[in-house]
Amino acid sequence: MYSPNESGAERRRISRGGLIAGICALVLIAGAIALGVAVWSNRKFYIVSMLVIVFAMIPFAVSFEKRRPKPRELVVLAAMIALGVAARAAFYMLPQFKPMTAIVIITGAAFGCGSGFIAGAMTAFVSNFIFGQGPWTPWQMAALGLIGFLAGLLFNRRDGRLPGLLPLCVFGALSTFFIYGFIADTSVIFTSYEKPTWELALTAYGAGVVFNLIHAAATVVFLLALARPLLKKLNRIQIKYGILE
Amino acid sequence: MRRDAFYSVHPAAAMLFFVIVTVTTALILHPVVTGCSLIAACAYAVYLKGGKALKFCLCFVLPLIAIVAVLNPVFNHAGATALFYFRNGNAVTLEAVLYGVNSACMFAALTLWFYCLNCVMSSDKYVYLFGKTIPVLSLVFSMVLRFVPRFVSRIREVAAAQRSLEPRLKMSPVRAVKHGLSVIGVTVTWALEGAVVQADSMKSRGYGLKGRTSFSRYKFEKRDGALLTLMLVCFAVYAAAAALKRIDFRYYPTIRAAGCDAPALAGYAAFALLCLIPLLLNILEDAKWRALRSKI
Repeated sequence: MYSPNESGAERRRISRGGLIAGICALVLIAGAIALGVAVWSNRKFYIVSMLVIVFAMIPFAVSFEKRRPKPRELVVLAAMIALGVAARAAFYMLPQFKPMTAIVIITGAAFGCGSGFIAGAMTAFVSNFIFGQGPWTPWQMAALGLIGFLAGLLFNRRDGRLPGLLPLCVFGALSTFFIYGFIADTSVIFTSYEKPTWELALTAYGAGVVFNLIHAAATVVFLLALARPLLKKLNRIQIKYGILE
Repeated sequence: MRRDAFYSVHPAAAMLFFVIVTVTTALILHPVVTGCSLIAACAYAVYLKGGKALKFCLCFVLPLIAIVAVLNPVFNHAGATALFYFRNGNAVTLEAVLYGVNSACMFAALTLWFYCLNCVMSSDKYVYLFGKTIPVLSLVFSMVLRFVPRFVSRIREVAAAQRSLEPRLKMSPVRAVKHGLSVIGVTVTWALEGAVVQADSMKSRGYGLKGRTSFSRYKFEKRDGALLTLMLVCFAVYAAAAALKRIDFRYYPTIRAAGCDAPALAGYAAFALLCLIPLLLNILEDAKWRALRSKI
């Protein structure tokens, strides 16, 4: 796939801005954990885990802002995010059968890592305006963002060829089950219980298996149905309007 | 939704209120603090949404409290006062039970504050607050919010047009799914092409150039200043009491509370007042409205 707007000079600037932001985020995360160990006795898991998740997303946001994407890329990205949100709303009746993850993977594959992360995080954030914001929002943002980022890393090709359907589906199933499932279940453990213990964690992960399986199956189904047509359309748009220049 | 006076408060003040209240509630496990927060959040939610909020409390928050309250003593065996023993020798302690109840109530209070936050902080307020610091992401955010309803209405349009092309009555399930996918495909193409047109229009109107300002409906009024001052004073009193260790509560191994003296009482009162600010503002506005209404 073509990746829009990432010429050589710009790429280097991204990595420098991202690097600085990444170091800052690491310092903040370390500080939050140190503070949690040193000061708070009550609810420290809730606060510290939340801070860590939020800080971890900062470098992605900063490098996206610093890159100053062109309007064409921005609006097309926004359209894809809106598709993800609308799709989640459309399958609202089926619990956990969410098409969001599939659409985030497709967006990541078409736009590259940085935009993939933004697409994932933004899809989770905006769709929670419909389904309710809560302490789970940053976790969902980080989980979906990470999946979009990895999709961009693995499937975003410079030569304009479409990625294979099988690798996409395998990646979709694994990332949904392990990455999204793991982060979502961890958020339950850290935000609902005062002092997480190992047995409690095992119970929570065990209870999550069924939900995560359904979610992974949904991702595969939607990837099978949507990946080819959507990637082709995105590819066509990028060639037709030269978004990559 | 009712006419909510807190809704019209400046977004920065409203956001700061929710940040202070949720962080303070989450940071400390103290029955009085949690109780104030829970009651105020519950009252405000019910004021905002009436029966709907009551249903939310009963169907979602109460079971949540019950689950967390039961789970804590099952997994946590700290505490000195054993109530009874499991067969494997682990004790259920009074401290763990009370601790569970308190942390469950705290979790419920946070959930309810987020519920109120959803009602008060509309998306344009977020864009207003963060548009300066993260302009690109705020723009994407506001565009997505516009695109979602447009997407839905366009899907309807395309589906209506496609239906007139195909005899719909004898559609097998496979055909129906294919039909649905082609509707989505058409809509996506339409949206992407439209996106490019919109982007060109933005560019030709000077998006990204220096010195451009953005429109906002919000003005920081005297009332917002007063509210902000009240909030900060309340928080300062509470924080001072907490810093003096007057607002301390220990659960394990035995329950022990800090004494109930003047600084502690002042801290509790300040926190309660802080939590009740939106509700008090509404009551005040309602009273004013009734007083000013013509009695003819």
